[in-house]
Amino acid sequence: MTTELKQERPVGKIIVITSGKGGVGKTTTSAAIGAGLAKRGHKTVVIDFDVGLRNLDMIMGCERRVVFDFINVIQGEAKLKQALIKDRRLETLCVLPTSQTRDKDALTKEGVEAVLAELREEFDYIICDSPAGIEKGAQLAMYFADEAVVVTNPEVSSVRDSDRVLGLLASKTKRAEEEGAEPIKAQVLLTRYDAQRIAKGEMMTVEDVLEILAVPLLGIIPESPAVLRASNVGVPIVLDAPSNAGSAYEDAVARLMGEDVALRLDPDRRPGLMRRLFGRTA
Amino acid sequence: MPEQDASAHDAGAISAPKPFQFRGRLFTAVALRLESAAVDAGFYAALDAQLRQTPQFFLDAPVIVDLEQAGTLDPAVLPGLVAGLRARKLSAFGVQNATPAQQAAAAAAGLVVVPRANDGPLRPEAGPAPARRSSARRAEPAPPEAPAPAPGAQMILTPVRSGQTVVAEHGDLVVVGPVSSGAELIAAGNIHVYGRLRGRAMAGAFGDTAARIFCQSLDAELVAIAGYYRTSETLAAELQKRAVQIFLKDRKLCLEALG
Repeated sequence: MTTELKQERPVGKIIVITSGKGGVGKTTTSAAIGAGLAKRGHKTVVIDFDVGLRNLDMIMGCERRVVFDFINVIQGEAKLKQALIKDRRLETLCVLPTSQTRDKDALTKEGVEAVLAELREEFDYIICDSPAGIEKGAQLAMYFADEAVVVTNPEVSSVRDSDRVLGLLASKTKRAEEEGAEPIKAQVLLTRYDAQRIAKGEMMTVEDVLEILAVPLLGIIPESPAVLRASNVGVPIVLDAPSNAGSAYEDAVARLMGEDVALRLDPDRRPGLMRRLFGRTA
Repeated sequence: MPEQDASAHDAGAISAPKPFQFRGRLFTAVALRLESAAVDAGFYAALDAQLRQTPQFFLDAPVIVDLEQAGTLDPAVLPGLVAGLRARKLSAFGVQNATPAQQAAAAAAGLVVVPRANDGPLRPEAGPAPARRSSARRAEPAPPEAPAPAPGAQMILTPVRSGQTVVAEHGDLVVVGPVSSGAELIAAGNIHVYGRLRGRAMAGAFGDTAARIFCQSLDAELVAIAGYYRTSETLAAELQKRAVQIFLKDRKLCLEALG
């Protein structure tokens, strides 16, 4: 499928990774999905919209290679090509870092639109790593998106914030404002999933989360020390040593591509859960 | 009033634009009804106690002083009363049901004389009433009647999410899908939710006490009809997550399981 597309124009699809709440795993997810798509041969760029709190480049392990950034490009101080950082592990992967010294007012709708239009000409997938909150940075990250991945932890405040963000995706975006445009395709990615805590009633079940959010489930990422370790060494989790979180992200990427992949979680730690899940959904 | 609006608008379209427009306007005011002619320390103490309970609700609220039960009130007391109310951030602007002597004193104290209007539903002796209304400025003639609910219903076919507010200014509001916690539904008429209602639903928002709320699965934070409300804590536990209708009976909010 990919080779067919590659012969023609790039796909140029913009996917925003958003959540409302902070600390749920947006940047980790952006890095993992970006690397996962690139690993499959798609030309992918990951953009950091969290101006002033530059994190994506650290998670992607390229923080020492930042010369120009997204804000420099928006303000005409650098060319896009100068600011894009090519990943050393995957030649199809690029990172567009943000500025650590500016704030979100440096982002303008016209500037973002121009950068995204230029990226669409070259890349198959443009992953926008949204800042937390629902202010200007988050709104601009989602405004031009074609698809959205809403990162949610199985706890009430995260679910409520995700619900709020789903409302904004359906009302405050280009696709929502344009007459006759397809709405943004939004899916929820459940991260930091801990089956033992859910069994103890300390966290919400998958069914409860999906019932509230009423959007399709892109995947379930188990809570795993491998995620933290990969972040600390600057390797996207899908490129690190095999882990259950890494394979869960690879499955999520496959579903993002439209493939039908069954949900799987670490079988020996979570007996009965899959049966319960499928028993409900079947 | 609508005809005036239309003609003014037409004329403006043909000739030069006018520097002003007369518009009919409906809004909600609070009526402060004196239950006796005694405006003394006890009166102010009781008023302060009430304001402390719900400070936000009354903050800068436009207030009409209703003297129906205070016919014997000494007109000389009125300027002091107005000052007392304004000192409490109550924007007293009008007086109702005043005797001629009281009217004169009220006008001298800066209040306008407002003709008797229908009361909002919170008044015990009020029948099914339209919105509380009054004409604040004399230049604006009072609109003839509160608009009747239009027969059409507003239809929402997508989930109503946290932070969203859907208002049906006329008639019913129908939601096919869930209403999240933190979302708000407001309708002049009935509210129907085909999905779980977790947010707030306010039916009969302009005073229609016959309005009802229907939902497939009740898990609401707050339900209200014509200003009478209940929060999740006072909704019967046995009706939670069931199909329920909510209506007003004898000024009490009643819940009943459906089916």
